[in-house]
Amino acid sequence: MDGAAPLFRMEGISKRYGGVRALEKADLTVTAGGIHAILGENGAGKSTLIKIMAGVVAPDEGTMTLDGREVSFASPAAANQAGIVCIFQELSLIPELSVADNIVISDPPKRIGMIDRKAQRRIAEEALARAGASDIHPCALVKDLPLSRRQMVEIAKALARKPRILILDEATSALTAADVAKVFEVLKRLRSEGLALLYISHRMNEIAELADHCTVFRNGRNVASYPAGSKSDNEVVELMIGREYSHIFPPKLGPNAAATTVLEARNLSWADRLDNISLSVRAGEVVGLGGLDGQGQRELLLAFFGVLRGLSGEILIDGKPVSISSPTAASHGRIGMALIPEDRKTEGLMLPMTVRENLSFAALDRLSKGGIIDRASEQRLIDDMVGLLAIKTAGLDIPVGALSGGNQQKVVIAKWLMRQPRIILLNDPTRGIDVGTKQEIYQLMRKLADAGAAILFYSTDYDELIGCCDRVLVLYDGAVKRELVGAEITEHALIASALNIHGEGAGPRQGVGA
Amino acid sequence: MSETTLGGIAGRMPKFLRRADPAVVTAFACIVILLLLGSLYSRSFLSPEYLLQQLKVASFLGVIATGMMLVILLGQIDLSVPWSVATGAMMACAAAAYGSVGVALAIPFGVLCGVAIGLVNGIGVAYLRIPSMIITLATNAVAQGLMVVYTGGFSPQDSATAAMRYLATGFTIPGVPNAVIIWALIGAAMVFVLTRTSFGRAVYGIGNRERAAYLSGIDTRRIVLIAFAVSGGLSAFGGVLLAGYASKAAQSMGDAYLLPSIAAVVLGGTSILGGRGSYLGTVAGVILITLLQSILSVMQMPEAGRQIIYGVVIVAMLLLYGRAPASR
Repeated sequence: MDGAAPLFRMEGISKRYGGVRALEKADLTVTAGGIHAILGENGAGKSTLIKIMAGVVAPDEGTMTLDGREVSFASPAAANQAGIVCIFQELSLIPELSVADNIVISDPPKRIGMIDRKAQRRIAEEALARAGASDIHPCALVKDLPLSRRQMVEIAKALARKPRILILDEATSALTAADVAKVFEVLKRLRSEGLALLYISHRMNEIAELADHCTVFRNGRNVASYPAGSKSDNEVVELMIGREYSHIFPPKLGPNAAATTVLEARNLSWADRLDNISLSVRAGEVVGLGGLDGQGQRELLLAFFGVLRGLSGEILIDGKPVSISSPTAASHGRIGMALIPEDRKTEGLMLPMTVRENLSFAALDRLSKGGIIDRASEQRLIDDMVGLLAIKTAGLDIPVGALSGGNQQKVVIAKWLMRQPRIILLNDPTRGIDVGTKQEIYQLMRKLADAGAAILFYSTDYDELIGCCDRVLVLYDGAVKRELVGAEITEHALIASALNIHGEGAGPRQGVGA
Repeated sequence: MSETTLGGIAGRMPKFLRRADPAVVTAFACIVILLLLGSLYSRSFLSPEYLLQQLKVASFLGVIATGMMLVILLGQIDLSVPWSVATGAMMACAAAAYGSVGVALAIPFGVLCGVAIGLVNGIGVAYLRIPSMIITLATNAVAQGLMVVYTGGFSPQDSATAAMRYLATGFTIPGVPNAVIIWALIGAAMVFVLTRTSFGRAVYGIGNRERAAYLSGIDTRRIVLIAFAVSGGLSAFGGVLLAGYASKAAQSMGDAYLLPSIAAVVLGGTSILGGRGSYLGTVAGVILITLLQSILSVMQMPEAGRQIIYGVVIVAMLLLYGRAPASR
């Protein structure tokens, strides 16, 4: 660990996806024999940076140098060749194959065109030993291994490619504390062997234990780089926020204690994704779901909407327990629930079908008599909705796929408003749409709440939660960790509780809910 | 793609062409070309008698393909057509042997047997989540087995009722065979269901994106179940008509209808992946296939050569326009 020339350097890297800027002139320097942590909010550009390093995507501009020579990677295989190997968040193993097969899968040793099984087994044994997992038999099938062992195989697979730079992207998120400790031992040994490790995690305590050096990303730029341990958790959170705050949100009316509770959950649990969640939403209230991506927010919304099987706990509508067995049950009749789903292209819309067909699709039962669609009332309701949401379309009979992203999202919302729902669940409704449409959606949300709807709103954008919500429940690992009310909803509090660290004056609350 | 250019091009076309699917137009064009080619061989291919006769033969396939289209629109397939047809025919004829009540109930009983096969298919696909290709193949085999047990493997001796013969070969309106009228009525009903009812909208929605349809509160399983039941019932009804046409049922009388019914639907521009297609296209596909078969047999092509040409023409036509790019 001398301060000599860096092993790998990225300079002025920019990347755009369509009109969205993912990285803007980002720099990163990696030295051999060190563990480098990368921090940042959702969408700060961390994943894009790693994908560029690993050859998954190509940068629009900027240079990468390895050992002082400029390099560019056409594919992940090229990056592997150069010694950069990435362990991604999702396990990339094939369950039906053996451990050894998986480890050498990209480049198996061959003899006269056939896979050399002896050599393959030798390579696998070496890699497993190096990963500190020599107790795993190379011939065992991956599907027979528990999750934590699979993660070790994943690391062995990466090591078998003889990396000089090893990238771990949320590689520990699937592991329990005991398994994490084992992985850490391995990582520290690899560091002492002279590897450069790039470590991405949302768990602040892991970074504190492991990292030598930290870089914070925000809005596609690296905003700070500092030796590990030289900044407090709070300072790090400050670095991760620091965005200008735009006033595009409608005013909130403030809490109305007299309003009745419309939607309530008691001890909802599902598989290992939802853990004993209790919450309540009153009429006229916008309740936000915060936290890092993938902490159970989506599952919670799907649970309310009757999609999940094997849910335990109780859901109450207007104080009465109900059993919601399907989206049909959730949206029809007395319950009157609507879900604006996560992915409008696959869950919200039928892209090749017309705007008209999509708009009336969720309300077909209301628009038809004896199963036959009443065209006049359909037209009337559609006209109302197109006017209310200012949907810009060249006509009602063109495919909805021809509309812009923002207008597509408006169609998704409008098709549910045609049912006049009392309970509206929104799953990250502003993702990938322009600022103008976002603002219209915020205003619409407040208007619906003022008209008496109960709204449960998940967003990956903290600004939205602050600007739109009367209360925010922060989820971590499938459980509600904290409830923020009114003025307590600040970016600092949101991030601190999302990372499950205790910020200033913010202990975890007991008895979350009504 | 800018909306203005799209509107500009579409605006210059006559309204019925603008709304028509290019695949449907191509299918009708192919019919005309086929007739012209046939007329080079013999003038009689353009005679009204021949054309009406072909329409009558086509109506059996038309009734069967109507059910197949509904299932294909969902993105599924019904391979139990052969023995649904035979079961419908055999059971209707069998009922006719039980006195005057049997004669009266022959047609509904035959159709109900097909609906039963369709319900088994529908339950398997919608509720048990078995791929339709597997479950319908299995019910086809079971139906075959049951019919072989019932008939002992020979052609059944019962013959069709007078009502069945009248439906298939009689004339209510002079000059127009009843079978054609029946196909027209069933076709009109299907057009109405597909375009004007919430069931029809749901079928297209499920075919396009089942998940989105489910999350929109559509009871997708019920829709799938009904579609398969309708398909089974229409196949069996096709069998009833065929039995009336031939005066009796026969073993493997439905085998000749599996590939043609799928091909007719797909040639008519319905996406084999579901979600897109119009009934007019299926009408065109049915007529096209019937003409092709007829012309090949009139030309006295040996059976083997007929099969080869038939298969090659279908593949060629599918290559021509059956592979529309996915719209996104």
